[in-house]
Amino acid sequence: MAQARELMKGSTDSLLLYLLSQQPMYGYQIIKELERKSQGYFRFKEGTLYPALHRLEKSGLLLGKWQLLPGGRQRRYYHITDKGRYILLEKKHQWQDFLVAMNLVLQPTNT
Amino acid sequence: MVTELNRYLDSVRDNLRLDLSSEQEVTSELETHIDERLHELRQAGLSEEEAASTCVKLLGSAKLVARQIYEAHSQGTWRQALLASMPHLLFGLLFALNWWQGIGWLSGTLVLVLAMAVYGWWHGKPAWLFPWLGYSLVPVVVAGLMLLYLPKGWSWVTILLYIPLALWLLYRVTVQTIKRDWLYSSLMLFPVPIILGWFLAVQLEGRFPEFSAERLRDLAPWIGLSFLALAVTAATFIRLRQRWLKVAVLFISGLLTLIMTACYAGGRLGLPAFLLLILILLSLFLTPALLERKIRYCKQSDQ
Repeated sequence: MAQARELMKGSTDSLLLYLLSQQPMYGYQIIKELERKSQGYFRFKEGTLYPALHRLEKSGLLLGKWQLLPGGRQRRYYHITDKGRYILLEKKHQWQDFLVAMNLVLQPTNT
Repeated sequence: MVTELNRYLDSVRDNLRLDLSSEQEVTSELETHIDERLHELRQAGLSEEEAASTCVKLLGSAKLVARQIYEAHSQGTWRQALLASMPHLLFGLLFALNWWQGIGWLSGTLVLVLAMAVYGWWHGKPAWLFPWLGYSLVPVVVAGLMLLYLPKGWSWVTILLYIPLALWLLYRVTVQTIKRDWLYSSLMLFPVPIILGWFLAVQLEGRFPEFSAERLRDLAPWIGLSFLALAVTAATFIRLRQRWLKVAVLFISGLLTLIMTACYAGGRLGLPAFLLLILILLSLFLTPALLERKIRYCKQSDQ
């Protein structure tokens, strides 16, 4: 699990940008969605999601907007920006190159 | 909300050190998250206390969350960095170009400094405010220096009126700044030992508090350079994310500028005076940090 957490450190931004490129979401929803999509593989301390979201927002990759719910409660929905979509595309390419290279090393018989 | 969760949110709030509106946004967001998680845990059959305890575990360390959010917000823009360095640059220009002798330039600079300090103070105390706030205390220092020239027998004015009033004002401004973040107090006050160093360097030997205008003119380029160093430090401070780096930059730059002051003071700043200035510099970091701890302790005791 600790190794998975280490691997996840470098990929949090890509995961968040990808999820939010599908639809705007709020923090709790992101955690549930990440767990569901990865079949429980991606789990982290929930509080640490917010620093990552705020960092991406400060970098202009996300935009947070408060939305008032019936009953007076508020949720902060995160929207991906154009810059965020561009960076996501770059990160996707980097991941694909990385996976190809890993496969070449770890499964040399396939090549 | 259960006490354990309130304590968690208080701990996040205490360690965030952000401006009030950002702090409110962060805590509201966490509160919403906690409400939703609690609701789900209760529906799964957990008692109120069990749900709160599980929720805190799932969130992770409050201090770590607060530190990471601080780092996400703490890097100011280049515009803010420029604004923070401006008062140092203005005072540097006053000396480097010998404008300090012109009453128009001097009063214009002071009015601008006061206006910026008041504006920043009433607009959420942004990080760029604190260097301006430090210089806005210059009129208080100048008034104190003027009192040194009063005829003998008038020292009671200094003792009874000026010293208590000046100390009270400095204390109030420092405490209000510490409530925002003790590090901003250090950012506000760290030019003090350097200015004090130059003040001692231009004194006429054995005739304190008389100073030599000629000597001040000779030293003007170096005084200007030291203010330029302060400006670069303030801008770097605003652009850095990590807290420990901000502390390191302020302290190391303050120390190097003090060494530069001592080198160019041409022997006027002896070893005892130099060591005293280093001690003042150190206390400008330690005192605000300790005061903040005391203020928090008092706040917690009151609750």
